[in-house]
Amino acid sequence: MRRGSIASLVGIGLVAGGIAAAVAVALPWLPTPASREASRIDFEFWFVIVICIVIFAVVVAAILYSVINFRAAPDDMSDGPPIHGHTGLEIAWTLIPTLLVTAIGISSAIVLSNDDALGKNVLRINVTAQQFAWTFSYPDAKGLTSATLMLPKDRSVLLTFTSKDVIHSFWVPEFGQKQDTVPGLHPTLHITPDRLGTYPVICTELCGLGHATMRATAIVMAPAAFDKWIAGQTKAVTSPNAGQAGAALFTNNGCAACHTLTAAHATGKVGPDLDKLATYARKAGKPLAAFVRESIVSPNAYVEAGYPKNVMPQTFGTSIPKSQLDSLVTYLTTNGTQ
Amino acid sequence: MTATTYDEHRLTPHSGGAWRLLFRPGFIRAAWMFCLFGAIGFGIVVAFRWWGGWQPLFDMQVITLVSLLVAGPIGFLAGIGAFDYWTYYALGFPTRAEDHSGHGARTWRDYFRVNTDHKVIGVQYLATTLVFFVIGGFLALMVRAELARPGMQFVDTQTFNGLFSVHASLMIFLFVIPAFAGLANFVVPLMLGAPDMAFPRLNALSFWLLPIAGVMMLSSFVVPGGAFACGWTGYVPLCSTHEPLGAVFFNQGVQWAGASSIMTALNFLVTIITMRAPGMTFWRMPLLVWANFTTSLLVVIATPFIAGSQFFSMFDHVMHTAFFDPNNGGYPLGYQHIFWFYSHPAVYIMMLPGFGIMSEVIAVFSRKPIFGYRLMALSLMAIVVLGFSVWAHHMFVSGMASWLRVPMMITTLLIAVPTGIKIFSWLATMWEGKLHFNTPMLFALGFLSMFVIGGLSGVMLGAVPIDIHVSDTYFIVAHIHYVLFGGSVFTIFAGMYYWFPKMTGRMYDERLGKLHFWLTFVGFNLTFFPMHILGTEGMPRRVADYAPKFAGLNMFISLASFGLGASVLVFLYNMITSWKNGPIAPPNPWRALTLEWQVSSPPPIFNFDEIPQVVGSPYEYGVPGAQHAILAPAPAREVEEVGAS
Repeated sequence: MRRGSIASLVGIGLVAGGIAAAVAVALPWLPTPASREASRIDFEFWFVIVICIVIFAVVVAAILYSVINFRAAPDDMSDGPPIHGHTGLEIAWTLIPTLLVTAIGISSAIVLSNDDALGKNVLRINVTAQQFAWTFSYPDAKGLTSATLMLPKDRSVLLTFTSKDVIHSFWVPEFGQKQDTVPGLHPTLHITPDRLGTYPVICTELCGLGHATMRATAIVMAPAAFDKWIAGQTKAVTSPNAGQAGAALFTNNGCAACHTLTAAHATGKVGPDLDKLATYARKAGKPLAAFVRESIVSPNAYVEAGYPKNVMPQTFGTSIPKSQLDSLVTYLTTNGTQ
Repeated sequence: MTATTYDEHRLTPHSGGAWRLLFRPGFIRAAWMFCLFGAIGFGIVVAFRWWGGWQPLFDMQVITLVSLLVAGPIGFLAGIGAFDYWTYYALGFPTRAEDHSGHGARTWRDYFRVNTDHKVIGVQYLATTLVFFVIGGFLALMVRAELARPGMQFVDTQTFNGLFSVHASLMIFLFVIPAFAGLANFVVPLMLGAPDMAFPRLNALSFWLLPIAGVMMLSSFVVPGGAFACGWTGYVPLCSTHEPLGAVFFNQGVQWAGASSIMTALNFLVTIITMRAPGMTFWRMPLLVWANFTTSLLVVIATPFIAGSQFFSMFDHVMHTAFFDPNNGGYPLGYQHIFWFYSHPAVYIMMLPGFGIMSEVIAVFSRKPIFGYRLMALSLMAIVVLGFSVWAHHMFVSGMASWLRVPMMITTLLIAVPTGIKIFSWLATMWEGKLHFNTPMLFALGFLSMFVIGGLSGVMLGAVPIDIHVSDTYFIVAHIHYVLFGGSVFTIFAGMYYWFPKMTGRMYDERLGKLHFWLTFVGFNLTFFPMHILGTEGMPRRVADYAPKFAGLNMFISLASFGLGASVLVFLYNMITSWKNGPIAPPNPWRALTLEWQVSSPPPIFNFDEIPQVVGSPYEYGVPGAQHAILAPAPAREVEEVGAS
């Protein structure tokens, strides 16, 4: 090869690599990390991207150089030189990619084991997935449940997943980590949030017709604020004042996602309007309190006309402790009087 | 002289009235035999349920499965005539092993019959798969129309999930896999110097299984409850216990397509092993033959696994077994392991034949020998072996045993090495060549550049931490389309243009071909490249609705996808008009050395008047005096016939 052709080959390669690098840098690829794991994943992402850009530039340079320099005239019936191979080259393009992928493999394995390593003072949270809602419960806070994932900043969090029906997948793009929830299994996921803020919780595994609506919110708060929230919630749900406890339970169990209740500023339209509980109870021919309790524990016993069966989870009877259920029923009977 | 004996009675118009029409093989007999067998299936189910005292007697799920999806199609196959020879043989009627009555095509009607000619079957495959390609593409455009704006526009979520599920199933099982089988069906026996495939009647049967599978998957849209809507991966328990009856149409459709794949692969293996012309050693085979040899190994070993996974899922659905039902001791991840044990090798089933086409096209249009021929063949074998050890990289976030992740990452990354060898060898083949940019070569160059992007995003996905972040997002959608569209579909287009003169005896329109390439290349990148960004930023796949911040990119992608869809019209117009009115093709318009180009276009009915003697490599471009094979000169009669047709 002449020196001029090497120079033009390298030139094309640099241009192609430059364009690819510009695409990589200029476009908003990854969300700003909000966890230590996401930062490590970002590092791995960019490490591999650099290798990919180099390889892409080499291939594109070879293609473009050939297209420009080896184009045959339409009437050129001659053949190219009969080169059958070159052992050195073939060894090179076997060995170099092997080394590159080995480097990717080693760095990935290190990132993976760091991401999985729990820190001190782990906060354990049980995550329950069902069509089409998330529930988060805090076993260290007497089973406090919440429809919003509240997290303290800079503390190792271990999520343990349970699925009540099909496979879902837990993902917060800003946290980087993702885990499928499989019925019958209880996989775990480790996250160390390190940036305050509010982030979306997204189901990424097709889980049925409402898949696109299976969203929740994760809020990363300062450790002091988190402890205050835990204490406040624990106090609220166990409060002897049924109104206060019920309001907290209504929110924490995610009722507002599907139901309307003026007292709780809830405007969900998926299930029946809970302001009209008294009317439904009359139709069902039952006393209001008994009707409300039955509708929470076994929702299929009476389904208001115009709403399908089997939409409301049938598991609140076991997931809400008896005393809290009493508070919730009292709260609803007090407010659903229309 | 040669084995061109014809049973003339099959080729003359039939006489004998309506009775003959009803009983001779064809669509009329297929129609009533479909009904007859369907009725028998119905009767069996009802009789057994009555005998066992099961209620309800008329269980529509079981009846639909047995009568409509199993017995009926068998009746269709019997009616169309796919079993005639074997039935006559089994019943003791006189048969001749060398019966060529169903061989070759004289009129267009012969393409709608059970035909045992591998060339006719190849064309049947390609025409059928193109129909499903157009339908599958149309479904994708409907998906894009819905996704053009956030919120729900045209369809409900059941229909939306059905659209992308059927789109993927058709494109994979009814387009990419069988389109390659069709191209190979036409080309492989010719390249080997063989008169046909080893089992021509099995070959015919494997084609006729395909339309059954395709119609089955499509018709799930009209089933009460809607089409199967759990994605082409059919993950349980969603697909087994939470889906309408349409899911069974997918489970069973896969069985028919899979059976077709397995039969064809067996046929290729036997043909390649036993029917090579004298002198055609394995190291003298064209790389397309190598590619189909390795692909067939993958198909034969892997496809039974997806058959098993779909049967188990369907039994859970219809018969309430608990293979994958966690409430009764089943194991949902078991499905994923079995499914991906096929479906990862299936990625190579959808790629290796394309590699073969690329080797032919790039060598011919660069006028140079394939660079590193043996390493090219060996890297195919390496992909086959490694391909069986990487399946769980689809399951890094599935909750499987976590120790499996690093070993599967290592094999996944390593499989990039033989793939890289092939890319670099093609580049070296082009180096210092005399490049001619006909349409097949343009698609080959498009493939090289696009497949590299798909391969590199594959390396990114192989790295577990990156995969954890982007798995089940639009990054995956982008990756799979760079591999299967930028990879497989580009090579299918290259192959169709390349062998079009050989198949039809006419040249396609080069200007339209180039227009088609550029529209596809630009439309493809505008459609699929932005999906990478959507995915890394946080848009999950398989959603009918999305966050408003993704609205701009989605609208852009939808508009680009309509342009990409329109480019297919150019291709179809070119194919149809050129087949009718294109200029007559010479036997060897590309000045290629492989055997299929040494016979007339289209080739004689039994390919070679005398079996050729192979004396050298098929890629000796530029070697003075080199020969691939010695062929007997064609008798004058054949030449006249070609000129007159």
